[in-house]
Amino acid sequence: MFSSLSFHKGIRHAFGVPAIGLGTSMFAFGAYLKSSGFNLVQSLSSTLFTFALPGQFVMAETIVAGGTLLNVFLAVLLTNARLYPMTVNLIPIIRHPYYPKWKYYFLAHIIAVTAWFNMISVHKKLQQEDKFDYFLGLGGFLWMTSVVCTVSGYLVSYLVSHETLVGFVFINPIYFLIMTLSNLKGKKLIFSIIVGAILSVTLFHYIPDWSVLIAGLVAGTVGFFIFKKETYDN
Amino acid sequence: MTTNFIYLSIILASAATYFCRAFGIFSAKNLSVDSSVFQWIKCISIGIISAVIAKIILFPAGLLAETSSSSRLFATAVAIAIYFLFKKNVLLSVFVSTMTFVIINFYI
Repeated sequence: MFSSLSFHKGIRHAFGVPAIGLGTSMFAFGAYLKSSGFNLVQSLSSTLFTFALPGQFVMAETIVAGGTLLNVFLAVLLTNARLYPMTVNLIPIIRHPYYPKWKYYFLAHIIAVTAWFNMISVHKKLQQEDKFDYFLGLGGFLWMTSVVCTVSGYLVSYLVSHETLVGFVFINPIYFLIMTLSNLKGKKLIFSIIVGAILSVTLFHYIPDWSVLIAGLVAGTVGFFIFKKETYDN
Repeated sequence: MTTNFIYLSIILASAATYFCRAFGIFSAKNLSVDSSVFQWIKCISIGIISAVIAKIILFPAGLLAETSSSSRLFATAVAIAIYFLFKKNVLLSVFVSTMTFVIINFYI
């Protein structure tokens, strides 16, 4: 029941602002890897097999700082742990009885913040049976774009000025911020967003490695329970 | 920093990342979009993403660390203002905010 139409619609969704938002950061990341002494295959492999930029960056930083393999593993696990609740949240939205379980484990690899936000923002307009293939197109295109941009950043970043590279790095958090604002629906989400940000910067001074996870967990949990009676909005 | 060490690091980083995703698939197998747990997880997800953004803007690593905090905060405010003033135009707000950020840091 693979829907080529849904798959292509997903690609078309990713083509444009989502791909630019992620691709520019991946380009800058490729440039960073080159300046840090990584080779081309290593740079390509990082985005191809990890595909979660903050964790990739932490991996590279830990290596450059002389960390051990255990340091790398734990640092990336902590940084990319956000993917766990995001995946738990996304799967019930796109699930359809037609697809066997193993396919979801394949799909898991392309779940990242950009694809997640964009899927959450459109899923109500899609038929349930189309969502899996739509997300495959959306996330798959972003994944491939990321690989191409990382390699491009590695190879041709010398053509780009330092100022432009810095601008590229700034695009991603701002794009995430705007996507977050587009989700400002309902008191419990607004509370989670505002308190999550405030707690994050407050806790960073005391527990920098754990600040993001604890801030999100506390803000989301408190927001959910305070506004539990609010009408559900999937 | 040997070649093999880097490849092993990439494998471990990929395994750690995939574990988070795969465990999420496993945990979601009986979860319904109508359940309160689903709503709770959504609040946590968006809370974490918001926390990540706040950390990157206020305490960045890498290239952004060499830019001023005030420029990042001002550009963030510009992004929010443009987004709401211009009918939630994502491209315009990201573009104007980024240009503002670059101009403040390198041309003023």
